This record gives sequence, C-alpha cells and structure tokens, in this order.
Amino acid sequence: MSIISNSFSGEVNPLVSLTGVSKRFPNGTLALDNVSLEVPKGQLLSLIGLSGSGKSTLMRHLNGLHKPTSGTVKVLGTEVSSASNRELRAVRRNVGFVFQQFGLVGRATCLENVLSGALGRLGGPRYGVWSYPKQLRREAFDHLDRVGLAPQAYQRADTLSGGQMQRVAIARTIMQQPEILLADEPVASLDPESSAQVLELMLQVATEAKMTIIVTLHQVELAMGWAHRIVGLRDGRVVLDRDATGLSQADVMDVYRRVDRESELLAPTESFDAAKVADSVEA
Amino acid sequence: MTAAHVEPLTRRPKNQLARAPRKWQSGALLIIFVSFLAATVWSWTYIDMTLSTLFGGFEELWNLIMYMFPPNFDNLPKVIDATIETIWMAVIGTTLSVLISIPLAFSAARNTTPNPVVFAFARGVITLARAVPTLVLAAIMTWPLGIGPLPGILALAIHSIGMIGKLFTEAIENTEAMSREAVSSTGAGKWQTILATIVPQITPSCIGTALYRLDINLRESAILGFVGAGGVGFVIQMELRGLDYQRAISAVSVIFITITIIEVIAARLRSSIIGDHLSAPTTPTKRTLARERRDQRLLIDAVTTRRLTPPWTYERTLRATAGVTFLAVLVFALVTIEMPLISAFGLFDEVVASFGSLYPPDFTTAGPELWQGIRETIAIGFTATTLGLVLAIPLGILSARNIMFNRAIYSATRLFLLALRGLPELIVAVLFVAAMGLGPVPGTLALTLGTATFMAKLIGDALEEVSPVPREAVLATGASRTQEFFTSVIPQALPTLVSQTLYMLDVNLRSSTVLGIIGGGGIGFLLLSAIRVLEEQTVGAIIIVIFVIVYAIELLGSFVRWIVE
Repeated sequence: MSIISNSFSGEVNPLVSLTGVSKRFPNGTLALDNVSLEVPKGQLLSLIGLSGSGKSTLMRHLNGLHKPTSGTVKVLGTEVSSASNRELRAVRRNVGFVFQQFGLVGRATCLENVLSGALGRLGGPRYGVWSYPKQLRREAFDHLDRVGLAPQAYQRADTLSGGQMQRVAIARTIMQQPEILLADEPVASLDPESSAQVLELMLQVATEAKMTIIVTLHQVELAMGWAHRIVGLRDGRVVLDRDATGLSQADVMDVYRRVDRESELLAPTESFDAAKVADSVEA
Repeated sequence: MTAAHVEPLTRRPKNQLARAPRKWQSGALLIIFVSFLAATVWSWTYIDMTLSTLFGGFEELWNLIMYMFPPNFDNLPKVIDATIETIWMAVIGTTLSVLISIPLAFSAARNTTPNPVVFAFARGVITLARAVPTLVLAAIMTWPLGIGPLPGILALAIHSIGMIGKLFTEAIENTEAMSREAVSSTGAGKWQTILATIVPQITPSCIGTALYRLDINLRESAILGFVGAGGVGFVIQMELRGLDYQRAISAVSVIFITITIIEVIAARLRSSIIGDHLSAPTTPTKRTLARERRDQRLLIDAVTTRRLTPPWTYERTLRATAGVTFLAVLVFALVTIEMPLISAFGLFDEVVASFGSLYPPDFTTAGPELWQGIRETIAIGFTATTLGLVLAIPLGILSARNIMFNRAIYSATRLFLLALRGLPELIVAVLFVAAMGLGPVPGTLALTLGTATFMAKLIGDALEEVSPVPREAVLATGASRTQEFFTSVIPQALPTLVSQTLYMLDVNLRSSTVLGIIGGGGIGFLLLSAIRVLEEQTVGAIIIVIFVIVYAIELLGSFVRWIVE
C-alpha cells in the first residue's frame, strides 16, 4: 500500500525536541501534561489520539503559535519557547504547516496562494503575481504542476473543491522549502477517497524533498500505513510511542479504547475539539 | 435625496437565542415611545407646522416654480465650469479621505492594530471626524484658506473619514483568520502577511465604500459654495441673491442631471467591479456567454503556455480600465482645479490655529439665541422625521410590488421616488427658502421631502423582503387582503421601520444643525453669523452644542436598538 518505506534509521541529532512541556490555557484546561519527545531528521511521525487529546496544541507549539506554560520546545536548534520574533520567523521559514482548513485566500488565484509560501525568503511586502520575481513564478507553476493543479493556476482559490484546495496548500508548503512539515489533520475535511489521495501526495512530495514530517491523523489505518513511528496522546499525555513496524492494530486502538469506556464513545469522532476551542479563545 | 444619507448600519444581534422580553424593557420602550410622541407634538407646535402652513408652503413653491420657468441657460458656460469644479472637489476630497482612512483603519481594527494606544487614538479620530458637519468644517476653514475649493475639499476629506474609516475597519475585522495564520506560519512578516491575506479580502468592499462615499460627497460639495468653499453652490447662491430664478434653475438642473448620471455610473461600477460572480444568478445572454468562452480560452492559453502574468480576462480588463481611468481623472482634476493644494501644507499651522481659536468656547455672547437655536434645531429634526414618515408610509406601500400587485402603480411610484432623490436636500432647502423666505418652515419641508422619499424606498424594500409564508397561511384561513396586510405584513416589517425611523431622526438632526447656514432655521444661522463676524469662541460653543445633540441622539438610537433586539 505504501510507497514510503516503513523502516527508518534515525540520526543522532534530533530536529525537534520537547522536554517536560505542559500547557494550561487561560480557561484552566490542561492541554499538554509533561510531554517529552524527540524527532530525528527524516522521520515520519504520526500523532494519534482522540479530539481534544492535545495533538493540535502540540503541533502549534512546534512553530511558536503557542508558548508552553512550562518546559522547553527546541526546533532546528532554536528554543521556540523563548525565541524573539525574528528568531521565530527564521524557525517558521523552515517549518511548513498544513492545516485542516487549508488557510487559502479565497479571493486570490491559486498561483498567488502558492507564491505566498515564498514570502519568508523574500524581503518586503508583495501584492499580486507581478510583485514576485519571474523565477519564483516559474517555480510556483512547477509546484502546482506537481500537485496536478497547473490548469487552475489563474483560477480563484474559492472556486476549487476541498481536495484541490488542500493540494494548493501543499504546493504553497513546497514553495516554502521547509525542513520540517507539520500537518494537522490535513485530510479531516475531505471525503475518504480524496483523503487517501491527498495524504499520499503530501507525504510523497515531502519525503522527496527530504522533509521531517509530523502528521496528526485520526484515521488509524492511514496513520499505520505511512508512519515510521506512532505517538499516541490522551488527555495531554504521551500514552504510546513506538516504531510503526511490528505494531498491531490492537496496540494502537488501545489509545482510543481506554477512553471509550469512560466516555461511552464507540469510535473517535471530530465532534467537539476542546483544544481547538481553547485555541480560538487564546487567539 | 440627501447628502448625509448613509446606508443604515443596523447591527444584528450577536446572540439569536430566544429571549423573553423583560419587564423593564417593555417599560423603557413605552417611556421612549411616549416621549417620542410628546417631542413630536411639541416640535410641530414649535415650528407651527399645521396643514395650512404645509399647503401654503406648497402654494408658494408653485409660484416659485412658475418664476423659474422657462429656465434661462445663458449662464451655462459658468454653470458647467462650476459643476466640473464640484465633481473634482468630490473626487479629490474622497481620495484624500481614503488615503487617510487606510492607515487609520489598520490601526483601529482589533486584528491588525499594533498596540492599544494607537488603537484608542485611531478609534477616537474616526469617531470625531464625523462629529462636525462638512458645511461647518468648510466654513471654518475659509478663515485660514480663503474663498475657493480648497477648504471644501479638506472639509469633505476630514468629515468622510468618519464613514470610510469605520467601514474599512469593519471590513478588516470581518476577514477570516485561517489564511492569515497559514501565511504567517510560513515565516512571512506582519506586513507581508497582511498584504497577502487581508488586503485581497477587503479590496472589493473598500472600493464599494469609496464609490458610495464619492456619491454622497458629490451631493455635499454641490452646497459648499454657500459658505464660499467652491463648487456650483456659489453660482446658485449668486443667482438667487439677484432674484434671477430662471438662471438659478439652470444651475440646479445641471447639477441634478450630473448627480443622477454619476450615481448611475457609480452603482454600475460597484456591481461590476465588486460583484461576486459566484453569487450572481443572472440569466446568461449571448454576449456574456461569448465573454465567458473567451475568458475560458484565455485561461487555458495562459496555463498551457505558462504565462507568468494573469491573462487579460474580461474582469481583469474591466478592473484595470477602471483603475487607470480613475487615476487619469484624479490627475486631471488635480491639474485643472484652480487650487494651490501644495500651499495647503504650508498653511497647516494656520488651519490648526483656526481650530485652536475656537477654544475656550463662549456660551454667553450668543446667550438666549443659542438656546432658542438648539430648541429650533431639535424641533426641525423631529418634525421632518415624523411628517416624512407619515408621507412615506403610503408611498412605500404603493411602491412594494408584493403588496400592490399592479405594475403600473409600483413602477410609477418607484420612478417618482428615484427622481426626487436626485436632488441634494440642502439644494431643495435653498429653493424652498427662496420661495417662502427665511425661517424654519422651508427648511423643515425640505428635510421632510428628503425623509419621505428615502423612507418610502426603505419601507418599500422592507415590505418586499417580508416572508410570504405567514402571509399565505393567513390568507388560507379566509382572511381578506387588508386583514392579511395588518396581521402578517406589518408585524414583520415593524422592527426595520422602527430602526429606520431612529436612523432618519439621527440624519435629520445632523442636517438641521446646518440648515440655518442657508437660511432654513435652527442653530446654523447663528453659526453662520458667528463665522462671518469671526466670533471664534462662539463658533466653538455652537460646535460643541451640535456635537452634543448629534451624540445624544446616536446614543439614544443605539440604546433603543439594543432594547428592541
């Protein structure tokens, strides 16, 4: 099923390391509880867990959208938790983020949306396609081609389907040329068929570019199919951290099942994401 | 038909949950309703607005119209020059206002403001900008800047910040945040992110706002000549002073036609530039189909040949043409208008000094006249609103197509209302004053006419938006058309009617503060004489009074809306 090898031999220097990270939101929710995690270069790590287990919150700590209440977050050698705005921008330039809700500018064309991925490496404000160097426009076209959307280059982004929108967002991330790719439920808003396609495309493109990938997924089968390593979160704590090879479906389902009994949920759902609500409150 | 008519900014309740009306709220509503009635009765008596004055007024107006015909167009070259100056004043004033409003709006929007101090400052400037009417601002600015279009342009620019800045701020605050978060997490800087995500979202609505304000400013600048601030108003005033009604009407008709044409152009531009093609359910004609085919071909060519700039689709061509045309008009306006815009910067100190000389306000020199002026202003505002409402209700019903069911009636009414709205309210007031002499009655009648036509359109629109479902349900019980109208249409349209009436009261009180400048009664007359004899501190006192009246009614309006919702 997978085009990416599930075996992985890590390097010594981790690109991402969290030490004893806790996060309490102003409303009192403890979203992360003493999380420690190291991710070596080139690894494809899949974060799993129920909605509200702290996956999104953890991801947002990795590019400084959230600051931890205690503990340290180190990404690409920079301590994100105490970085200046300037340092934070430098980190973000090297960390691509794919969101569940795409985050495209609907009124702008696909090409402009892809080009905005290059803003971090360009100086000065840009407005409209013409304000980007020709070389970058060619590059953006190539990336759109790579995700199969070159014919839509001059179409407004809000005329596309959900799957197409996420592909444009992926092209924007390639444009950014990051070392690390964070994808927060990248296919949760898509139908099952395009889910698999878009996920495969994203991971394929990212591994080709030798990115280190952290992806949160609530579909366990998808997570198991691609990842080198699976980390399970529950109530903000790491409850599972294992190599994907040799991991059984039952081991993984345990992350969910233990909660099922308490909350009488039969399957993981996306009904109410407490962490996201807390996020929006904080923002 | 008025200069100050702004699209009502009705606030929808944030929380639509069902809420039982509380006891104190219905009590407060009753008190407000009773005081409104009392204020109305007092106002009508104060102005002595009886049926005989009303019909007497129309008789004198008829005589004036007779004097005015046939119009004498031999002053046409002068009138056309003055009209062009009027247009340029509106264009330059609006552009200046937009340029000032952009940084203000980004500072005043919660999601882009750099810090709380800048936020409070920007909000304050936007709120204060519309406190003083354009005509008053223009009159004061003729002190340092002299007679000519310059004080008029600056007055338009400053006053418009109130509306443009407010609507721009709202546009920025209404943008979605996801794309902003996404682009800023690629490592883009703050301004890069704002340009890439917020600006594309707000551009269409900001252009719409600017065009709408241009339309309003054109009407305002037609009257500015009455205080020596440039434009066609000066010509109208001169002809009326010389009792040359036939020449005066030639100037009035030229500005009427100009305003109507520009209104139509602005409306078309608005809908074609900012019109969302996704939500336009028009039936395709042969031309639009051909246009779409051509656009499709251009798009396909562009992507197959890897064009690095967007193709020239119909929409893009239209937008670019409009942009270039506007720039050309602006440059032409700046070059041809006889106005030392550059020297305005040199006179900056003197402008500031003129405003400084208004302080401290002197409430005693004008004394009892001041309080009489205030009473008269309030009385004019109430009378015009209530009398206008009385006239507007039948007109509005006649213009609603889902009530009248008779095409001839509603189309004729709509056309009549549209034509009447073409004239700025203050120009109408000038003509009424010419016919009936100085005093509050002609001013009140002019505002009444403006209110009636504007409200009639709003009432017509509100009636047409009434949901047909309850109506059918009532008819199905065997009720007559009239019964159905009272039981199902009126309750549905009532909340809109109440909030529009409050809004009109606000607009009319603002207008009645300046009516006196052209002889229409109220505090404006006192203001004009104080300006003429350079009693700066009395001017300061009157401006404070105007400010208080306007804000009191605005607060009252939002309080009532809050209770009703």
